[in-house]
Amino acid sequence: MADDRQTYWQYISTGKLGLQFCPACQKHIFYPRGLCPHCLQSGLEWKEATGRGVLYSYTIVHVSALPDFSSETPYIYVLVDLDEGVRIPSNLIDCHLDDLKVGMPVKLDFIERQGKDLPVFKPAI
Amino acid sequence: MLAVFKPHNAVITGIGELKPSMDAGDKTSLDLLGEAAALALLDAGLHKTDIDGLLVTPPSEDSYFLWPSQVAEYLQFSPVFMNMVELGGASAAATIARAALLVETGICRHCLCLSGGIWDKHVFNTLEGKMAVMSQAEIDYDLPYGPMGFNSGYALIARRHMHEYGTTPEQLAKIVVDQRSNALANPDALFRKPITVADVLSSPLIVDPLHLLEIVRPCSGAAAVIVSRLPAYAGTNHDPVYVRGFGEAYTHNSIAYAPSLTTSPIKLASRRALQMAGIEVKDIDFVALYDCYTITVLISLEDIGFCAKGEGGRFVENTDLTYAGSLPCNTHGGQLSCGQPSFAGGMSHVTEAARQLRGEAGARQVRKNRRALVNGNGGVMSTQCCLILGRE
Repeated sequence: MADDRQTYWQYISTGKLGLQFCPACQKHIFYPRGLCPHCLQSGLEWKEATGRGVLYSYTIVHVSALPDFSSETPYIYVLVDLDEGVRIPSNLIDCHLDDLKVGMPVKLDFIERQGKDLPVFKPAI
Repeated sequence: MLAVFKPHNAVITGIGELKPSMDAGDKTSLDLLGEAAALALLDAGLHKTDIDGLLVTPPSEDSYFLWPSQVAEYLQFSPVFMNMVELGGASAAATIARAALLVETGICRHCLCLSGGIWDKHVFNTLEGKMAVMSQAEIDYDLPYGPMGFNSGYALIARRHMHEYGTTPEQLAKIVVDQRSNALANPDALFRKPITVADVLSSPLIVDPLHLLEIVRPCSGAAAVIVSRLPAYAGTNHDPVYVRGFGEAYTHNSIAYAPSLTTSPIKLASRRALQMAGIEVKDIDFVALYDCYTITVLISLEDIGFCAKGEGGRFVENTDLTYAGSLPCNTHGGQLSCGQPSFAGGMSHVTEAARQLRGEAGARQVRKNRRALVNGNGGVMSTQCCLILGRE
């Protein structure tokens, strides 16, 4: 596995969400890459994310053909806009379906899935 | 600024399309492509040896290593130019744009655009089938969260559109209801049972807010279109359909990294196509818009400019989109009624527009048929190719 992907999961194994940052562009980047997609230069740094963001959009998945998810329905698949200015796909947990609202503040949490820690989000109260 | 390229000599001379099917029996993808090619040649009044350009789209589940070469060998074509266009659902429309370039430049006289394949549910509904249509970034950072193929991507768009503009499930449902009315006049449609808005909304929620009847059904099939250089079509049987303009635009692959969920690259692609054709939105008589989901059509109508951004819900609610209406849309019933035979789903919009422009659409013939806008959309509003086709 390439270094950038490895670092991402290393952060997660210590209970943190790491994001790449381009010192030249002064921009955070998601997903991890070997170079900055804006200036195409290497030298990206890693920074710990605040873990705060807002729900950009969501869908409640009622039917899933994915083997690990077909018995987990309904589950909430989301896009979160992080305070750092990047958007990431994830799941929303600990949220009643009636309380779901686009634009709601969310915060980072972790779950274990298939023996691996996974960053997810829950409502920020 | 570069002068805008204007095609003058590129015409569609032949179309061939197989009836979509849920079970293609013993046939292979290559067999289906051959059958569609034979129909298009017959339609054009051309012989196989007249074809000197071959543009193919990928098949559904076959290995497509050297696919143009596989197709050319199986069907014994010896083109002077061939290629595979892989832009997802936009591939079929994009073959027409590239064929127009090939005949305009004189590299080819008759370019065959071929699309389709066998759909295999045993591959489609497996983890491997899902991963086969994902980028490495999606496999690494998206798949762990259970995205349901393209369904969840379009559901995110629909939800965001509802949030920003108050679009309702009823308004989205109206799109597929009108298209189903069109399908009733198309004997080749896969689904021909009349439906109401209530039927759509009472069909199972698959990925909230999208219901089963708002989601395209994969199937098997194939379609072929021949683009020729004027006046080389002398032997052909029909009035030519002119390729007057095309435009493409790309901003993202995965919807998670799109600049916006509610404005798509169709906005730019359609502007570019209209500019090449030297016309405006109001000059379009009818449309054939890629319809993998209802929300795809709504976003397309807004981005092309038939209504303002955010007004799409009210627009479709108040506009008759059937072949008898003020803005006929997907007069064959669309993929939502005809099924999606792999990449040939996108070609069905081209063949239907050509039928309408020729005046050969039978019971579903539109009254005004001078100019059509066709859109091909790939990924999750990712790859876009708009075509302007005209009778003159």
